[in-house]
Amino acid sequence: MKKIFDKWIIYIILSLIAIPFLIMYIAFFAQAFSKGMSLGIIPQKLSFSNFSFLWSTIPWGLEKTRIWGIFLNTFLFASISGLAVTVVCTLTGYALSRIEFRGKAFFLSMQLILHAISGQILLIAIFFLLLYTKLLYKIPGVALARASLEIPLGVWMIKGFFDAVPWDIERSAMVDGCTRFQIWYKIFLPLIKPGIGAVFIWGFLFAWHDFIYVYTLLPGTVPLLSTLVQGLLATEVVDYGVIAAISLFYMLPPLFLFVFLQKALMKAPIMGGKGIA
Amino acid sequence: MRKNSLKFHSHWFFLSPSVLLVSFFYFIPVVLVFTIAFTNMDQVFSWRFVGLVNFLRLFTLKDPLIPRIIKNTVIYIFSALPLTIIGALFISLLTMRINRTASLIFKAIFFFPRLMPPVVWGFLWMWSFEGTRYGVFNSILEGFGVSPIHWFIESPMLIVICANGFLGISLAMLIFTSAIASIPKDYTWAAEIDGASFWQTSRFIIIPLLKWPIMTMTAWHLMSFINSYVYIFLITGGGPYHATEVWALYGYNSAFKNYQYGYGSSIMVVLVIINLILLVVLLKAFGMRRMIERSRIEV
Repeated sequence: MKKIFDKWIIYIILSLIAIPFLIMYIAFFAQAFSKGMSLGIIPQKLSFSNFSFLWSTIPWGLEKTRIWGIFLNTFLFASISGLAVTVVCTLTGYALSRIEFRGKAFFLSMQLILHAISGQILLIAIFFLLLYTKLLYKIPGVALARASLEIPLGVWMIKGFFDAVPWDIERSAMVDGCTRFQIWYKIFLPLIKPGIGAVFIWGFLFAWHDFIYVYTLLPGTVPLLSTLVQGLLATEVVDYGVIAAISLFYMLPPLFLFVFLQKALMKAPIMGGKGIA
Repeated sequence: MRKNSLKFHSHWFFLSPSVLLVSFFYFIPVVLVFTIAFTNMDQVFSWRFVGLVNFLRLFTLKDPLIPRIIKNTVIYIFSALPLTIIGALFISLLTMRINRTASLIFKAIFFFPRLMPPVVWGFLWMWSFEGTRYGVFNSILEGFGVSPIHWFIESPMLIVICANGFLGISLAMLIFTSAIASIPKDYTWAAEIDGASFWQTSRFIIIPLLKWPIMTMTAWHLMSFINSYVYIFLITGGGPYHATEVWALYGYNSAFKNYQYGYGSSIMVVLVIINLILLVVLLKAFGMRRMIERSRIEV
């Protein structure tokens, strides 16, 4: 009897914490698909008029802009960033998993070090660095800068996949005369395909979601989806229905990727299996 | 001999891309931010070295906003950090006790902020707590006959702390629940047979066993809260009247809003130094070795 009573208290406490969030989520979805709302979360009439930005123009400053160009830019930005993360992490992850060298401890604790001096507080310096190397206001340069943020965690992720490959495979390849690079390229890469997928999604997702790098380092004339949403929020007359619809459109592609490739991601030891996350 | 030289080449070949990228986007910027802090870099990018002027402005309180910003930062960090750690512990201890499906639903609700882009999370908070009758919570209150509350004027700091704290909870909750799941069931069962209540089991069995994850998460989020300003920037932009402006955000705004890049850099330099001190303390306390896994066999 006492036990059942306990359970109910737990449910009530958890619900009380969760309800404000549920209200926010429901209001968000309902607002995107309806003309007006009553009581904040009850949609009045189902309508897709908020999604008209998909085929018509969006006011952007004094001009108008179309969503698909912005979508392509965002896709380009996220893909470059994701590719850079993948290439760098698969190379580094192999070395950290299979080769002993001096300074390895430093590489493995890089995650904490780079979290301490995070990219956010170095943004002013990165701005000038890109300015002087003529990479500022260009999507590839900013994408590379963004990619550097995901390297520490990406390396931990892919290292787990490399660790899982038996050493005997590598040894037999070496006996057959493979060099380290050939082993990496011909033996390991096909074996850790899920890991490569996971790291790519990791890099892609965070670049897709990024706001502050894009906002600071790309010009206002090249909006990505994140800066578009922020720009629409900062205007005088805010239409929450349209912003909710655009936000939903902005959130969908990574969610699809995530659900689609969930199996590969779940295999990833995301936190590296060690204490520091 | 040949093997040694090959080994030297091979690991540098594998490491060079990440070394290049990380030194280009982390270590050079650290040097650069220290350099810019001693200049009067402005919006047309003309500059000369001005010595300690920026730092004098910071530390001799020539800038009237500084005391306020320090106070904001302290309030922000020391409210958001306990909220994150205690909240995440609380939620993971509670979800452990209920059936699987229900706990998954609750965890999904609390984890959802991680899957959301920062802009959308900021938009949700901004919109929900809007002061007019179009804000979500105000329009619900309107249904009960309550007139609109100006949330952002009455308690802007609380909103910002909750928005950041619940984002922290989503990560810490994940770590804590997986740590709790790895505790052998015998311990809690034994305690329950001896008549321990839920509170006693948590306090004397589970929390002591979670010491390590709790410590790492505290350290991790301490640094996050010191450094992060993106969500505050999105939700309030530091306003109203600098009520939510924290140290990092003030640095960003000085540089990119007021175009005082030199002054902004000197503000960030203070943060970099604080972070490096904190890092050394943490590495000493936790031990570098513990974070590292050696390769099993040397080839």
